[in-house]
Amino acid sequence: MSEHENINDLAPIEQPPTAAGLDILKLEKVSYAYTKGGKKVIKDISYDFETGKVYAITGPSGAGKTTLLSLISGLTTPTEGRVIYDGHDLAKLNRYDYRSHDIGVIFQSFNLLPGLTVAENIELSMNASGMKYEAPKREIVMDLLAEVHLPEEYANERILHLSGGEQQRVAIARALSYDPKIIVADEPTGNLDLTTQDDIIHIFQELAHEQDRCVIIVTHSPAVAKASDVVFELAPLRHSVPKRQGAGVRRAGKAAPKSATAGRASARVDAAPAARKAPGRTARQ
Amino acid sequence: MFVLKNAWKSVTRNKGRNILISIIVIIIAAAATIGLAIQQAAIKARDTGLENTTITAQIGIDRSQMLSAAKDAMQSASSTSSSSDSSSSSSDSKPDFDSMRDALNTDALTLTDYQEYADSSSSVKSTYYTETTSLAETDDFQPVEDSTSSAFSSSSSSSSSSSSSDSSSSDSSADMKGGMGGGDMGGGMGMTTSGDFSLVGFSSDEALANAPNGTFTMVEGQAFDYTASDDNDVIISQELADFNNISVGDTITLENANDSGTTYTFTVVGIYKNSSTTSTGSFGPMSSTSSDPANAIYTSVATLQKIGLSSDDTVEATTNSGDTMKTAAATLSFTYVFADEDAYNQFVKDVEAAGLPDNYTVSSTDIETYENSLIPLNNLASFAKTLLWIVLAVGAVILIVLTLFNIRERKYEIGVLTAIGVRKSKVAAQFTLELLIVTMIGLVIGTGIGAAVSQPVSNSLLSSQVSAQETSASNQQAQFGRDMMQPGDMGGSSSTDSTDSSSSSSSDSSASTDANSSGQSSTDTTNSAPSQPTNTPGGFQQVTNYVSSVNATVNLTVVGLMLLIGIGLTLVSALVAVIFVMRYEPLQILADRS
Repeated sequence: MSEHENINDLAPIEQPPTAAGLDILKLEKVSYAYTKGGKKVIKDISYDFETGKVYAITGPSGAGKTTLLSLISGLTTPTEGRVIYDGHDLAKLNRYDYRSHDIGVIFQSFNLLPGLTVAENIELSMNASGMKYEAPKREIVMDLLAEVHLPEEYANERILHLSGGEQQRVAIARALSYDPKIIVADEPTGNLDLTTQDDIIHIFQELAHEQDRCVIIVTHSPAVAKASDVVFELAPLRHSVPKRQGAGVRRAGKAAPKSATAGRASARVDAAPAARKAPGRTARQ
Repeated sequence: MFVLKNAWKSVTRNKGRNILISIIVIIIAAAATIGLAIQQAAIKARDTGLENTTITAQIGIDRSQMLSAAKDAMQSASSTSSSSDSSSSSSDSKPDFDSMRDALNTDALTLTDYQEYADSSSSVKSTYYTETTSLAETDDFQPVEDSTSSAFSSSSSSSSSSSSSDSSSSDSSADMKGGMGGGDMGGGMGMTTSGDFSLVGFSSDEALANAPNGTFTMVEGQAFDYTASDDNDVIISQELADFNNISVGDTITLENANDSGTTYTFTVVGIYKNSSTTSTGSFGPMSSTSSDPANAIYTSVATLQKIGLSSDDTVEATTNSGDTMKTAAATLSFTYVFADEDAYNQFVKDVEAAGLPDNYTVSSTDIETYENSLIPLNNLASFAKTLLWIVLAVGAVILIVLTLFNIRERKYEIGVLTAIGVRKSKVAAQFTLELLIVTMIGLVIGTGIGAAVSQPVSNSLLSSQVSAQETSASNQQAQFGRDMMQPGDMGGSSSTDSTDSSSSSSSDSSASTDANSSGQSSTDTTNSAPSQPTNTPGGFQQVTNYVSSVNATVNLTVVGLMLLIGIGLTLVSALVAVIFVMRYEPLQILADRS
């Protein structure tokens, strides 16, 4: 938590915290098929994502987790239905802008540029967003590194020389660099040791609870699912469905409509996310 | 800005690859610069070489055409022909020379004709003409000759370098005396001048300035007047004056070459000295004294008319076979002067419209000789053009392949960039910009190298072209024992002056004339030696001073073209990158979970 003080110091302009529970992202009867008229990988999913919470999307392989992630992160558009970000249909928004401003995606394979240094990778995303920053970019990078628990001297290290866990942190830092409202992570703890895993989850929790972001994690790991506020089960599988009181959506389309909305009320949400909300760096925008 | 920054960062990051591309671009640019510079120089030399030069032209007869027509006419009438005479009696197959000459003679243009054509075109700046006749020696006035010279050489070079005079001069002179050079009509070998002196009448100072024997300077006295027709003023060469111990004010007496009874008396008002000897090569055994420039007597046309030896007059001539023929007393050489090449071209069209018969051609030795001198340069220019295209094609292919590999290698980067929200167009722009930066660096260096070496390289290429040209000429020499026949109606002893951008048409042949050296594309000429020196037995030679040095300086045009080429090549290869980027879907990177 000590790092947070640093961040707060460097981001002087404070804004009133956003109201908790804002529906930042909505899936409306989303279906997706890779080929036109082909087999649907995702069928008729409806779900609302709120800020201030950590969501875990689980499911077996082939359940369409990655596809859903692609839809959320605006890498592709649904064949049917709509993805609504902040009241706007994503299909009508410029998805490049959406990706560069509004959503931070942490890919499973990190997708950092190996030839660049840590700082360059992060700055690349900052530049790509086209946003103006009040603090020098280098300082923001240092803050971000601190936030993801990376020592400062890593800034000039090439990505190639970093371990998987370190790369994961850099990827998170990059996703955070332009201060998006939504953070999406694909198997963020995939090949990490337990300590690192815990730390990473911790970071995600901070992002959601203290900075009022919507954190969506696609994961296999029960530990991650446990640590998250809401679990969104993609496949009609085992006992995890009832546990979350209808949070799961049956892929077969049998799931009751609006079940996700019901889940929100009873989910194991942190008691008062808004109260502990860090001022964040929203001012940078 | 983001794109530019990223592109620049990427360029500096991948030094090895970009240096490789740069080196390739440098090579392409250097080669292309040299090629372009040579082409530019050749074009400029062609355009500006005759720019400030007045062009002279003559109307000549396409004699082969005429002769074949005459032959046809004769053959059809051979049974009843009365013109068959002793000269052809030995063999029926022998050409009927007299009829041939007759045919040629009747078709010769008269002074009036020439003037009519001059009036028909507005592009004629001025005209002048010379008339050349021959006179025989008298006891107290002898031609300059050495012991080996034969006054009655059968075949000699005409003293006139003008091509149009060939037709008529050969007719008239061949009939007068001496053997006829067989059927050798085309090459000017058939031109025979008899007599001991050539008396050249000039129509104006302009004609005098373009005297057939080259420019001269007055040593003593002054030139004759053109209007005063009654004083029989002449100027003679210094050699002739020294030989006969004549000074200004003396009178000389000469005989009619065809009629020894008729004598003419002239007053020497000046003595001139040829500043150059254009009609060299007349010292061989076959040349006649009258073709020796030293034996040229200059006077006005008016004087010629007065003594009845102008081209409008006719003389009775007796051939060696005993026939008597009427021929023009003098050879007319009519010259049209034009301000520039365009006017000349206009004139060619105008006279055609005015009804110049098909068997006459308008020709300009100025242009011909200038174009001859440009042969090596033109060869080089076409070589340079080929080189340019090959270099550009190979360069484009190499660049495209390199870009393709580059892009395939950076597929991952494209995926990441698009995944984090960089627009494809920006990615494509970045890649294009990267390529542009690298190629521009290469282009600048390459153009610099090309500019530095284009001068020596093009000159050495040109000199090898010139020597190749000379080798082919000397091969011709070895094969035929004489120079190559010049196509068209080039005169017998035509000494082709080097014509460069500043030299006038009357520039001397021996001197290497340096052109306006300050000019962008000046062409220097050096006296690239003729294939055979002066005592060719044939008595005629071809001195062509090839343009052997070219100012292939890289100028703004070349730089601009290089820039265009560079951008063009870059864009072509960048197109590959753009297509690749545009086809790439960022989703693939997620699907590709390695």
